[in-house]
Amino acid sequence: MLQYAVRRVLLMIPTLFVISLLVYIIIDLPPGDCVTAQIDELLSRGDPDALKHAEELRQLYGLNHPLMYRYFSWVAGIFHWDFGLSCQDTVPVRDLIGERIVLTLIMESATIAFIWTVSFVIGVYAATHQYKVGDYVASFFGFIGLAVPNFLLALVLLYVGKVYFGLSIGGLMDTEYMEKPMSWGKALSILQHLIIPVIVIGTSGTAGMIRRLRANLLDELQKQYVVTGRAKGLSEMRLLVKYPLRHAINPFVADIGHLLPEVISGSVIVSVVLSLPTTGPMLLGALKTQDVNLAATFLLLVAVLTVIGMLVSDLLLAVLDPRIRFGATGEK
Amino acid sequence: MSSADLRYPRQTLWADYMRAAAGVLLCGAPLVALNVNRWLALMLAAGVVLFGVFLVRTALRQWTRYVLAPDTFCADGPLGGIVEWARLDRLTLSYYSTKRDRSAGWMQLSVGSAGGRTIKVDSALEGFYDVAERAAQAAEANNVEMSATTRANLKSMGISVAEQEEAV
Repeated sequence: MLQYAVRRVLLMIPTLFVISLLVYIIIDLPPGDCVTAQIDELLSRGDPDALKHAEELRQLYGLNHPLMYRYFSWVAGIFHWDFGLSCQDTVPVRDLIGERIVLTLIMESATIAFIWTVSFVIGVYAATHQYKVGDYVASFFGFIGLAVPNFLLALVLLYVGKVYFGLSIGGLMDTEYMEKPMSWGKALSILQHLIIPVIVIGTSGTAGMIRRLRANLLDELQKQYVVTGRAKGLSEMRLLVKYPLRHAINPFVADIGHLLPEVISGSVIVSVVLSLPTTGPMLLGALKTQDVNLAATFLLLVAVLTVIGMLVSDLLLAVLDPRIRFGATGEK
Repeated sequence: MSSADLRYPRQTLWADYMRAAAGVLLCGAPLVALNVNRWLALMLAAGVVLFGVFLVRTALRQWTRYVLAPDTFCADGPLGGIVEWARLDRLTLSYYSTKRDRSAGWMQLSVGSAGGRTIKVDSALEGFYDVAERAAQAAEANNVEMSATTRANLKSMGISVAEQEEAV
């Protein structure tokens, strides 16, 4: 197990380095830079000092240096939590992303908890009540969740929440709490505003997970050892929990790695529709304005979450089920 | 059956030394050379500890001689141990792979007898098949309960074990 952990962690380091390099280069590839748009605006207004101003801005953002120099300066800064200047407001990236990261993590954690809780309960129920009314209802909602685009569901829930339940909609807190330190009132307001985004973002993930858990559990429940256990008079609950559920739960563990980046990248459009102050809309803005430092920092954070998620899920799977698979070429 | 002296091949040990050194260097160099944020420093320090432990374990492997005898399996070296086949009470065979399709991985055998230290060996060890086969025979003779995973891994190595009833 130690050897496995060492090899996996050792793979993470070059992976993150290559991702960060590719991301930085690709964002910088299109012609122009983040100053170009600002200068175009000044030129269209007839500002005679526009070109001089452009040079000053390029020096301020370090854009006069070669790409590799800027990349390694950015990487060196990461170690002391300095991601450089953002072109959007000429403020450090660290200050821009601070609160948004916290709010994003709160929202995504709630979404993941929602996905796991709902899909676990419904998946187990659907598998143990195959072809009964509850199974059909769960399958129906599962397919609806898979088929309906998130932004459409967001619009519908916004309307229903406001008109029928009087919920405060849009944003992640009431306007009176913005720019204020955390308090019980602010925390309660965030919780109230979390309901709709969590349902919207979590529905598609839940639907997929229910289908997988149901299918895996049905496979396990039809195996010989379950029949033997039942014949020996074991209670249905014990029979379910002892082995079939333990084997069927592997997809949950395997999905940890995919869930984090999927939820973050998949929530950009929903965040725009619901006016959520999360990282998604800011990443979109940074990519549109070629704000390399800001966009690369966001994408690096997503990559780090992905790689850590994959590591955690691989380690858990190695502990839960260290079995050779048919088709693998085998041991040394 | 006479006893056999088994060791890890030199190239396997060197590869592990290289991994450990690369890990310590990659995690430790920023800590030494840069003014690192304290949370990142904590993560990097955890990495240094992990690779450091791996380095020590590799060195222990190099200094250990494994002896497979008709009645015992002995790890002769620092932190060594001995397993008496007649008193074997635990056997686990796990398979690990860092690849997505789980190919090109390695096995890890873990055996122990009552009151003794558990000995863990990897499939890189010379004569690993013989150790695993002898351990499986001893486990069957002693009625040691083996997990479904262990039985599946033994079968994949071509070592036959009688089907045990699942302990439901």
